[in-house]
Amino acid sequence: MEDRLGALGGQALRRTRRAWGRADGWLLLTPYLGGVVLLFLLPAVVSTALIFARYDALAPPVWVGLENVNALRRENLTGTAAGNSLYFLALAVPFRLLGALLLALLLQRRQPGVGFLRAVAYLPTVIPEAAYALIWLWAFNPLYGPVNALLRGVGLPAPSWLADPGTAKLVFVFMSLFQIGEGFVVLLAALQEIPTEYYDTAEVLGAGGTQMLSRITLPLVAPWFLLIACRDIVLSFQYTFTTSYLMTGGDPYYATVFLPLLVYEEAFDRFRFGTGSALMAVVFVLSGTLVGILCVIHRHLSAEHER
Amino acid sequence: MSGESRRAGRPMGTTRRRPALQDTLHRISAWAVAPLFLLPLVWMLSASLRQPGLPPPRGVEWIPNPIAWSNYAEPFRLLPFGTYALNSLLVTASAVALTLATASWAGLGLLLVPPRCRSVLVALSLVLLLIPPPALWLTRFVLFRELGLINNWGALLVPALGGSSPLFVLLFLWTFLRIPAALFEAARLDGAGALTLWSRISLPSARPTLTAVAVLSFLMYWSDFVSPLLYLKSQQLYTLPVGLHQLQQLDRTNWPILLAASVLLSAPAALSFLWAQRHFLQDSRLGGTGEW
Repeated sequence: MEDRLGALGGQALRRTRRAWGRADGWLLLTPYLGGVVLLFLLPAVVSTALIFARYDALAPPVWVGLENVNALRRENLTGTAAGNSLYFLALAVPFRLLGALLLALLLQRRQPGVGFLRAVAYLPTVIPEAAYALIWLWAFNPLYGPVNALLRGVGLPAPSWLADPGTAKLVFVFMSLFQIGEGFVVLLAALQEIPTEYYDTAEVLGAGGTQMLSRITLPLVAPWFLLIACRDIVLSFQYTFTTSYLMTGGDPYYATVFLPLLVYEEAFDRFRFGTGSALMAVVFVLSGTLVGILCVIHRHLSAEHER
Repeated sequence: MSGESRRAGRPMGTTRRRPALQDTLHRISAWAVAPLFLLPLVWMLSASLRQPGLPPPRGVEWIPNPIAWSNYAEPFRLLPFGTYALNSLLVTASAVALTLATASWAGLGLLLVPPRCRSVLVALSLVLLLIPPPALWLTRFVLFRELGLINNWGALLVPALGGSSPLFVLLFLWTFLRIPAALFEAARLDGAGALTLWSRISLPSARPTLTAVAVLSFLMYWSDFVSPLLYLKSQQLYTLPVGLHQLQQLDRTNWPILLAASVLLSAPAALSFLWAQRHFLQDSRLGGTGEW
């Protein structure tokens, strides 16, 4: 009897202790959750409300219904910017994935100097965006830049790059291909998670290098591919803002006007926070849709792996 | 998952009896990575040393003649670059210190709350990572203005109060999950509170994660161009990236000076990465980086 009481007491004590643990847990989480509310949830609520308001950050907001949305639909630039953003994504994301995969395959094996090579491959990724933009602005300068000097050196035509609406966006895509460190690191980890036995078995069965790549390596890193693609899509919006803001200002002929640049101009140049919010919603819906599609594919792939 | 033994069993892919030719090709192409990825940085360095006002070079000029070291003094003469550098340093240092504290608190907090709450919060954090930052600029500006944080470093530092990025919080959680639960239980029986659990048990076993988060948050705040652009107005508060943009507006074509200033901005980022790179890139890397 005594013992049982003692055990019950112990249980109660343990339960209280666990409750304390929880209280401690929530206490430690307070700053983070506060940040989530202040920096993510509240802005989301406010911006949804602002879509339906006229607001210049000075006078109180005025309810205008769907006026902002209609204004955006009338404005040709919205479509141009959305098109440019999609164009960038469609070119940059696949090439960045391919680049990260090639890097990971090349630098996966231990060989002398591989640590140095991995560091070098990651290095451009850490260059601050303001400096990075200036490097390429100079490199693609038609007169002074080394890119055209190289092209002329081998007898190729030297386009005017950022001044030409046909090539301006390609410059942005090209320069983004050097900042693939994150994807590279994730794929490197994914490749090293593949058990060696798979390759050994394949070799016993007489599989060649190409077959191993297409039958073992690629299917097993495919889910990681989708993850990196999601992250690339999300980050590309910030990337296209800084590059277009610092390098072209949206010129020539609106060829480099991307959605975030429009958001910035609407809100911070013209103080039209209502239409700005509606544009942000476009950014949000666009990236949300693309990420959603990738998540569905991801689920299918992992379901197949389970089988 | 016995990742260690598997990795140890795998070291030389070469032992898979590849043909010698193929192996050599692989090595050569691996080394070709170096010049390719160093190219933009070499261009930046070489252009930053070219004497201003010279006519365009014929061909690619790798080593300028004469070498103009004085380009590196010019930004400080044209603009208060010293103040900007000091501002950047102050903002970044405070942000990194705050981030390390709040992100590791949150990581430990996630460990201590009931598992069901934890998985909801982890899922929420992953969703937050999928929101493009530009979708939040405008309303953050409106909120910060209400809170009196505009034109004030507060606007730059608010994210650090909340752990800076959900990714950092998750990295800490994943690290702490690998600490034996018995250690926490024992400390609890000794009557340890939240802060003791954090400082005596969690942090000492999270050295590599602390370094990684320190460097990642350093890079994040040191490079941040958008926040100061949106939230700061007074020149004496500017940080280096905005200073660089200001320099660009002064004279768009003075490439040597602009690139010298770019080198000044890039060097601390590059050096801090190189100092900590083994935590990101070596085979015994953070379990977390690859697991989400």
